[in-house]
Amino acid sequence: MVSWSLLVVPLVVLGGVWCEEYEEDLVLRPLRDGKVSSTFTFTTVLHGADPAQHYTLFPLPLGQILREYAITELHLSLNAGKWNYDAWGYPEHPAVPTGAELWAWMPDGAASTIDDRWAGLRNALAGLFCASLGSLDHRRTSSPVQAYPLQSSHIPSAPHHLRHATLPSEHVCTENLTPFLKLLPCKSRAGLARLLNPQRLFDADWHGLGVHVLSTEGGGVEMKLVVQAVFDPVRLSGGKRRDWSFQSLFDRTINAACPVASSSSVRVFLPEEQIFSLSPEPEPQPSDESQPRDESQPHDESQPHDKSLAIYDVPTLVSHGPLDVAMQWTTEHAFQYPPPLSIQRTLHGTSQAHGALACTLTNRGPAPLRVGYLETLPALVTLWAHTIRVEVGGVGRDDLLTDLIYHPSHSPSPFSSHSSSPSSSSSPQTHAHAHTHTHGPSPSLLQATLTLPPYSTLRLTAELSRAFLRYTEHPPDAMRGWDLPGAVFFPVPVPGSTDSASSFNANHSAPTFNHSARTDSTYAQTDEAHAHIHTLPYRMHTPALLADLPTPDFSMPYNVIILSCTLVTLIFGSVFNVLTRGWVVVEV
Amino acid sequence: MSSEIVFAGLVAGRLLLALAPLPGALKYDHQLSSPLTSHLRLQEGIFLYQNDIDPYSGSVFRHSPLLLSLFSTVLPTSSVPCAFLWTLCDALSAYALVAIWRARQRVPKSTRDGLVAASYLLNPYLFLPTLALSTSTFENMSVLLTLMFASQGRTSAALLALAFATHLSLSSILLLVPVLLLLITAPTSQLASPRPFPSDLHKTALLLGEFVSYSAILTLASTIVAGGWSWVPQTWGASLSLPDLTPNPGLWWYFFTEMFDHFRPFFLMVFSVHLLIYIFPICIKFQHDLLYAAFLLLGVLATFKAYLTLADPGLFLSMIVLFPEIYPYTRHPIVTTLLHLHAALLLPLFHHLWISQGTGNANFFYASTLVFGMANGAALVDCMWAGLRIAVGEAKEGEGWEVVQE
Repeated sequence: MVSWSLLVVPLVVLGGVWCEEYEEDLVLRPLRDGKVSSTFTFTTVLHGADPAQHYTLFPLPLGQILREYAITELHLSLNAGKWNYDAWGYPEHPAVPTGAELWAWMPDGAASTIDDRWAGLRNALAGLFCASLGSLDHRRTSSPVQAYPLQSSHIPSAPHHLRHATLPSEHVCTENLTPFLKLLPCKSRAGLARLLNPQRLFDADWHGLGVHVLSTEGGGVEMKLVVQAVFDPVRLSGGKRRDWSFQSLFDRTINAACPVASSSSVRVFLPEEQIFSLSPEPEPQPSDESQPRDESQPHDESQPHDKSLAIYDVPTLVSHGPLDVAMQWTTEHAFQYPPPLSIQRTLHGTSQAHGALACTLTNRGPAPLRVGYLETLPALVTLWAHTIRVEVGGVGRDDLLTDLIYHPSHSPSPFSSHSSSPSSSSSPQTHAHAHTHTHGPSPSLLQATLTLPPYSTLRLTAELSRAFLRYTEHPPDAMRGWDLPGAVFFPVPVPGSTDSASSFNANHSAPTFNHSARTDSTYAQTDEAHAHIHTLPYRMHTPALLADLPTPDFSMPYNVIILSCTLVTLIFGSVFNVLTRGWVVVEV
Repeated sequence: MSSEIVFAGLVAGRLLLALAPLPGALKYDHQLSSPLTSHLRLQEGIFLYQNDIDPYSGSVFRHSPLLLSLFSTVLPTSSVPCAFLWTLCDALSAYALVAIWRARQRVPKSTRDGLVAASYLLNPYLFLPTLALSTSTFENMSVLLTLMFASQGRTSAALLALAFATHLSLSSILLLVPVLLLLITAPTSQLASPRPFPSDLHKTALLLGEFVSYSAILTLASTIVAGGWSWVPQTWGASLSLPDLTPNPGLWWYFFTEMFDHFRPFFLMVFSVHLLIYIFPICIKFQHDLLYAAFLLLGVLATFKAYLTLADPGLFLSMIVLFPEIYPYTRHPIVTTLLHLHAALLLPLFHHLWISQGTGNANFFYASTLVFGMANGAALVDCMWAGLRIAVGEAKEGEGWEVVQE
């Protein structure tokens, strides 16, 4: 590095107007769902304009394109997958739309028109990156200037125009990565780019490439080549642990530093709550050394910053041997995210009169799970309790449903002086839900206990009928349908625990601490032997469902009364006509 | 070919039909089973009963407690034994119809027996509800057994069967008066030669007492089975107050769906009492042939019953075969037949368009129920006309004379 800067400095002095600089950076962030987000940023900065384009570090093919079409700012991203903001938060680099996205700001004043330059840019980039960017034609091009403003720090004074286009169906692949790596000064032979193993990169849950060009002062250009990927160590490790390392994620380690890089660093965001170990030990924060700690500032505030980020300087570490950053959760036996129970509840059937309710419960855990199931359906839906079926893997397992408590829905009738006296039964179940009927429809209540075998998906189905309501009982927007409340899955007492709170502890702490010393095989054996039945720590709710009920015609009351009464009187009249009149023989 | 072979062949054919995989889809059809007769609800009630939940606590189960106790103990609930049971009930009904025919003709056996049985066993309005395992099959069976026992003069059996019929379907009470009168007269055809009521009306008092005691026993047994009186509003009350507005081919459901709330009790009363109005006029007018009066009252039920299914008009239409003497005198047979054909096409089509397809709305099906009501009413009026017209006999010799009502 020293020798490189010795070379560069005379050049800067001689040229006086331009120089090049190259930095690389890798950010690794363990996400709370066990995945690891990795962001490679390769930044090449061209200080000042170079009319001859005698670049050393800056890629000439891209420089030529930028000059040919007079591009002030260029953003190209090629991504595969959906960025899950809910689980992963914001990405390190915001360009994460699915497929290809290209936008460019171009100033007025060049020889050709903006749209000609835009078409040329698309085709040139399509050739450079082997992507179908040529099809981003006028049918897909727009100019959303507020959402995509100019980001360059220094903007030429001429008026600028934006062209933006997306191609969601474009898929990023190895053929895009190869030309991408060729733009880097060290290719993929040294430095951080060494980790960009196509086989692992395109196996990631989410992955994408990005090229971001901004203009800087004096006609300079800053180019960022970005590779983002979200890896799933839990999947890579066979569905057990979320430990990761360069070797496990990329199947490579960093053997050599890129000699032309002015800085090359790996930053790892550290999770706050869990106990983990990081190897190699991160070096002390350079910021702490460079800036003397302000004594007036409380010590605690700088503490989270220290703990939240580990920084590795690649050239220093590579000099001691291959760099393989690894993070391990040593005390955690098996990682589970989201909660061990996943629930889906849907309404089936195309008829407006009959249908089926289906609950699909997936137990991801190694232990049987026992949960309470509560369904309260309003009287407008009748659940047929005798059709309740429980299946695991397509095989009927009605024995997994126990402790059934059911109270059918009740719609009031003028005769209902209802005394809720259960039929000659003294079972505690029926007494447990002594329904007090008031006047008015009451919902049906279904409660049962479900036992889910380990690593299995249980499917509970029940047929239901939808009520035909009076026209006055429908809401004003009857066609929207009726909301059915979600089902509730709740903790139940399980053997070996006195209450739900202790079962919660058993569920969560036991795998973490008690079994941590054992190997996987011994754990599996003891698990089989004990067959600890777990339950839920808290209630879980499913989303509401929308049931569309058959509707009468709301404009018909008078017509129906008139037509029906006419028919009744017609028949009544005819009958009594025939019965009462005498018979005569007449001559015609 | 002897009628026994025809009968056995018909029953075997029906059994094959019942064992075909068709019935599964028919179980949900609104035209074949009403909330009061649906097999789905029967199964639900049995399930609740066997799980110690009062089936009458909700608005799901509207069958008789006697059916509940029978099906939860001796009778089967799985599909294949059910197919046998329902087909057996239909065979019994067909046999009852044949027996009524023989009693009316005063013959131990006739060549028309096979045709009479076929008219019941091959009537689609009757075998489709049976395939759907609707309990209307039991109701029809008890009605036909009532008429059979009454025609054969077996008083107690007839009254017990009538008590069952009334217990299963409250509106069968319409048959009480003609059956009581039939028991003290003969079932033979007197339509062509009307006469004043030949017997002493006071004899019916004892029979009425017997019927009431049978009904009381059945009611009491039901109350013991159900563990309270909660079954009464759920079963008998439902046919009077119409709490469930599930569509059926009858006239009630859409009328009370669209009814203004403050008029609902009044019109419920009107529609219920309206059925009773027909009893005495028909029984007085047909006092010479009370089997025919019972037949006409079944026609009234087939048109105006609260929870109508196709089985009710089916019973009425099949019974026409018992009265071949009226055929020459029917008033508009072609119009009535065409109306029935029209309704038979429209009902399933418009029901499907509204409920399954979603391309039609409720008015489509309502319109077809009006056509069906018109067809049943026309059949009733036709039979009534022919039953009276036959007494006048043929017009005088030569052309130019016609029999009309004044």
